[in-house]
Amino acid sequence: MTRHVRGSAVGLWVCTDCHETVRVPHGAASRCPRCGAPLHERKPGSLNLTTALVLTAALLYLPANLLPVMHTHTLFSESDDTIMSGVLSLLDDGSWPLALLVFVASIVVPLLKLLAMGWLLLAVRRRRSGNAAQRSKLFRLVEFIGRWSMLDVFAVALLVSLVQIRSFATVHAGLGALAFATVVVLTMLAAQSFDERLLWDIDPDG
Amino acid sequence: MKRDRPSVIVCHACDLVHRLEALPPHARVRCVRCRAELYRTHGATVDAAVALALTAAVLLLLSNAYPLVEMQLNGATRQTTLLGAAAGLYGQGYAPIAALVLATTVLIPMFQLASLLYVLLPLRRRRRAAGRNELFRTLTWLRPWAMSEVFMLGALVALVKLAAMAHVVPGIALFAYGALMLTMSGLATLTPTAQLWRWVEECRP
Repeated sequence: MTRHVRGSAVGLWVCTDCHETVRVPHGAASRCPRCGAPLHERKPGSLNLTTALVLTAALLYLPANLLPVMHTHTLFSESDDTIMSGVLSLLDDGSWPLALLVFVASIVVPLLKLLAMGWLLLAVRRRRSGNAAQRSKLFRLVEFIGRWSMLDVFAVALLVSLVQIRSFATVHAGLGALAFATVVVLTMLAAQSFDERLLWDIDPDG
Repeated sequence: MKRDRPSVIVCHACDLVHRLEALPPHARVRCVRCRAELYRTHGATVDAAVALALTAAVLLLLSNAYPLVEMQLNGATRQTTLLGAAAGLYGQGYAPIAALVLATTVLIPMFQLASLLYVLLPLRRRRRAAGRNELFRTLTWLRPWAMSEVFMLGALVALVKLAAMAHVVPGIALFAYGALMLTMSGLATLTPTAQLWRWVEECRP
């Protein structure tokens, strides 16, 4: 007896939208009887779409971290803040728990997402078998934490709309914020378009 | 459960075939290989979800009607709202980020609540709303894009940064939005994707 039977090997597909198990006798694509979504054995084009999204996000990661996300003018000073200098200024204000939070959400998480997704994609593309259970854990972590990087974008949005006191202090958004927000959106889309089952296809005994 | 349980179920996350045997009430079935949740034998009632969705709708209205924060600096005061946060970015030529902020904090939660109520209210009378399949599929896809809890943390960071240079007063909307965050995460726990579809199936004539 085979220990692990794949659904796709016995004509059972899972609807990508509602997770219903559907019997597909001849591999003919049709629609899910429960939710009406088109049925696919695996998400169509998942590998290429995810790769494209991750590569684009990786390109934008540099401007996102190097360009200023925010310009601040006050009566006495004028300064440009990047993501990292924002973390340092929180640290200077003495709020290290918040500095740590922003550091993790804005610097560690996007980098971890890019590295992890790149590694998973490479493993699937090269059909490099390994520990699928650990890989799927890593993927679920990436999927779960990705949205928290938006934190900095929201902080900038609030500062920009609030600090507009002419001649005393004004805050302007910078191009870095646009690049950063794009990185977050692209990596979230990459996690959504990735088909986790690809990890198990190359490594059936996990 | 009223519905006959499927006898064979395939894991959506790793494609492993499982045979479901008799399950005790209040059981939660996980995939033996990848631990993804496959099936629950209990779930929330439609009424509970409706109640939470209505609460959240009121809170969402309040958080848009009142100012989020007020800042006092050298005798000048300035306040902003949720919509104001997006409008500020728009005014500075950052329309894409403005749209992203508006969508993730206001529009997507609003759409989620409206479509949930649109489907669930008729379901209580065993009626099926037109287009419910498309709505539920969209809801599933949109799930990670409603970011009220992330926004609350972002607001906290902004307030701490501001407190270094000005006097900052949190507004009514900030508290309303904090309560919205709790209500929305309660609602998300009550209505995992599988639950939505089970409700629709149970109502099948």
